[in-house]
Amino acid sequence: MDTTTAAAERGITRATRRKLPGWNEYTPTIILFLLPTLVFMVLFVVWPIINSFELSLYQWNGISPTRDYIGLNNWTRLISDRVFWKAFGNNLIVVVLSIAVQMPLALLLAIMLERTTNLVVARFLKTVYFFPMLMSSVAIGILFKYIYDPSFGPLSQALKALGLASLNRQWLGDPGIVLYSIIAVICWQYIPFYMILFLAALTGIPEDLRDAARIDGANEGQYYRYIAVPIISGTLRTAVVLSLIGSLKYFDLIWVMSEGGPNNASELMATYMYKKAFPSFEMGYGSTVASALFLIVMGVGLITMKLTRRFETKV
Amino acid sequence: MRKLSLLVMILLMVGAGAAVAQDEPITIDLWHIQSTGDGPQLIQQAADRYMADNPHVTVEVVPMQNDPYKTRILTAMGAGDPPCIFISWGGGPLYEYVQANQVVDLTDYMTADNYTEHFLPASLSNATFDGRIYGVPVENTAIAVLFYNKAIFEEYGLEPPETWDELLTIVDTLVENGIAPFSLANRTKWPSSMYYMYLVDRIAGPEVFASAANRTGETFTHPAFVQAGEMIQDLVNRGGFIEGFNGLDYDTGQSRMPIYANQAAMTLMGSWELGNFLSENPDFYENDLGFFPFPAVEGGEGNPTNVVGTVGDNYYHISTACEHPDEAFELIQYLIDDESVALRIESGRIPPVAGVAELLEDPIQQEIMRMVEAAESVQLWYDQYLPPELGEVHKDLMQALFAGEITPEEQAEQMEAAVAEYFGA
Repeated sequence: MDTTTAAAERGITRATRRKLPGWNEYTPTIILFLLPTLVFMVLFVVWPIINSFELSLYQWNGISPTRDYIGLNNWTRLISDRVFWKAFGNNLIVVVLSIAVQMPLALLLAIMLERTTNLVVARFLKTVYFFPMLMSSVAIGILFKYIYDPSFGPLSQALKALGLASLNRQWLGDPGIVLYSIIAVICWQYIPFYMILFLAALTGIPEDLRDAARIDGANEGQYYRYIAVPIISGTLRTAVVLSLIGSLKYFDLIWVMSEGGPNNASELMATYMYKKAFPSFEMGYGSTVASALFLIVMGVGLITMKLTRRFETKV
Repeated sequence: MRKLSLLVMILLMVGAGAAVAQDEPITIDLWHIQSTGDGPQLIQQAADRYMADNPHVTVEVVPMQNDPYKTRILTAMGAGDPPCIFISWGGGPLYEYVQANQVVDLTDYMTADNYTEHFLPASLSNATFDGRIYGVPVENTAIAVLFYNKAIFEEYGLEPPETWDELLTIVDTLVENGIAPFSLANRTKWPSSMYYMYLVDRIAGPEVFASAANRTGETFTHPAFVQAGEMIQDLVNRGGFIEGFNGLDYDTGQSRMPIYANQAAMTLMGSWELGNFLSENPDFYENDLGFFPFPAVEGGEGNPTNVVGTVGDNYYHISTACEHPDEAFELIQYLIDDESVALRIESGRIPPVAGVAELLEDPIQQEIMRMVEAAESVQLWYDQYLPPELGEVHKDLMQALFAGEITPEEQAEQMEAAVAEYFGA
């Protein structure tokens, strides 16, 4: 009995040594728990991505039982496709403005909320600020379509009432303005999300640090500038990366409010992909746009992660 | 004698066998987009009656919304799992399905017992390719007409115009008085195409477009296409359209609101708009709503009785993946039998069946039907007639043309280039 157990133990040790580093007795359990997620990930994320790349090599209308292999023709077409690059440029504008507007405002609101000592007021403001985040994008899009109506919308009415009628614009009809009109709404929708993120990080800072800073003679501004914000820089980095990736693959509000128009003025890569794959019956080319979108988001995401690695903290 | 009785017995057995086979339960699924108003009921009642008459058949009716449907039917076909019965608007997209061998050729069903005579002749053309019929027209007859606000016309002493020049005079009068002549919500692009289609038709007749689209001689650089573009830009420059029209959304009523508010006088829209006027603003519908046909263009070759629109609206098709096409076709016939026709008329539609004019009671519907019957031709919407890829190009170009971002010549050339490339490839 004794000898067999010992032999078995030795057998296990030997087997363990031969296995991958980090492999231990929990590993099978871990795999078992992850398996459902992994299966769904492969089935609904990894496989469609591979499939899109494959489809990008074909000319296919999406319904025909046959499809023509055309090699890299779709990709050469993409490279000289004026609309795609216009959409890419628009995506960059969304990225820059989203980060430049959303991050500072969200941080400012978070600091304000953290400093509000009256708990009732703080809770009330938190709820109010968080409200846009709770609405569906489609509802927000339709709401702002009415707000932006150049004759009936509250915005134009308000401008008229203030005697600023000359500032009134065709908010969603003017190709030079439409993108910015929609970005404003995107910011309105997403600032609360980052605000809550920052607020959680700020309240996570031990109160002792603030007290210590006070004793050392730091005022509130200095506390945030030199202590609080550097401590939550990990959260800031996460927020920037999230906003960046979200902006690159953005779709909803643009689709609801302008469908990328007028004349592609607010076209984004994702709306262009949808237009090609479905209404135009060009599934092959639509897949090419989708694959390019995937490569761009992946590339930009990886580079940003690498460049901002030094801000990584446990917060 | 014995031989005969044997034969009879065999026949009886075969007959019984067939009867047994018939009684095996089967399921037919049907996707449609009559999702608003009493639309779902119109389809369901027909399915219920069919099931009552054929107890072994279960009909699964799936109502869907317009735009999600377009994506779902494509995905279902691409995945090889389409429903037994589905709808289309005929024209170019249907032709894609036909070429992809996704649609059953219904010619034999339709010609049996002269069933085609049940329909208005114009209704079958949008579902007929190379002489074969692929769909049954069911839902509605819709043509684009110019709706106008009678109160505004009365205030400025205006009369419905008969020619384009008369229309321009009206436009100028309205602009001088600070009223937008035309309301237009062009975010989805197809509403602006209606003005262009009518102008081309009035200038040169329907043959030019048909010939250019089917590559049988003409091209999209024909002077009629350029002239129509020039007339549209002239109208835009006169202040003919409401401010910001390219950003307004038809689906949320932004083209009708200015008309209700007496800020815009007219709009060119399909006759389904009557239903919207009626449900959104019954007072306006009763008292102030009028409509007139698109005016003639001086010196134009097109017959001013011609209309742009669709006779049939939705066509019902059987997919090649369907295992029971005979039952499916029978079910489709229930959708447009006398009882269904009566119900459709009751809900304000004009089903595309022969003799429908005598069944209509509403004066506005009668007037629309008179226009359809008097029309020398009914031009199907370009974006439905053309292959989907080109339909999208046309709509994009219309938005740019109305915005003044391209010249009429550029519009014509870019359309021609896209069409030439599509058919050359």
